[in-house]
Amino acid sequence: MKLLTRTIQQFFPAAKTVSAHCDGPCGVYDPASARIAAEAVLSMTKKILAIDTKDHSHATANSLSRFISIKEEQAHLAKTDLLVLWTDYFKPPHLEKYPDLHDTFWKAAKLCSAVKVEVSLEKAEALMKAVHKIHDIFWATKGREVPYYTAG
Amino acid sequence: MQTSNGKEIFLWLIRRRQRYRVTGASMQPLLVSEDEVLVDPRAYRRQAPRIGDIVIARHPSQAGLKIIKRVDAVREQGAYLLKGDNPDPAQNSPSLVPVQLILGRVTSRFASAS
Repeated sequence: MKLLTRTIQQFFPAAKTVSAHCDGPCGVYDPASARIAAEAVLSMTKKILAIDTKDHSHATANSLSRFISIKEEQAHLAKTDLLVLWTDYFKPPHLEKYPDLHDTFWKAAKLCSAVKVEVSLEKAEALMKAVHKIHDIFWATKGREVPYYTAG
Repeated sequence: MQTSNGKEIFLWLIRRRQRYRVTGASMQPLLVSEDEVLVDPRAYRRQAPRIGDIVIARHPSQAGLKIIKRVDAVREQGAYLLKGDNPDPAQNSPSLVPVQLILGRVTSRFASAS
């Protein structure tokens, strides 16, 4: 079989390449991942607040548990995605242009914790605003105009 | 990852597999630069990508660039978090890719660089 594949390689070199480069040089970073997670947190927060808990039914308890579980998971994902961007993508020259960069990310990460601990529509919306700001900064550093959008 | 057997090579001959040469280090130690792989472009026509699958995808923001990564997590709204295998964080960070940009599943190693 090795001989066959070697012969194929010799006479028919692979025309297509696929990149497994590290993401730094490739620029394979995208704040969209944080946006999707933050949006899921906002959605779950709204659903939790909309639930009427007065009936004390198992179905209500089950729905509430599921919404809380998803909110926890997505808040953690949002924080992870933001930390990856902050620590791996952004470099000192970016900080010169955006002096409040560290403060922006630090507050956004804090909001990820807050929306996990609390059921706060205000903080979930504040997290979305922070992610929007990070989106704008990120694409500006790449010199590209990428419109911000939400799925919801 | 299995090495391409007779069946895989036959599927490549009848164009049911595509052959790609890997460049870069983010899939080490499993795949090194210059390894070649076979890809099933029809793998996700009837089923969704699964966590652990190695996939080929169009880069979400760089036109023309195709990337090879492992499905690390499934997000809501049809997006997949793809990551390389390389344990060195400097060689690796996640990419979020919508399902429509995933081109196929890596089925076997056609040839090793060594």
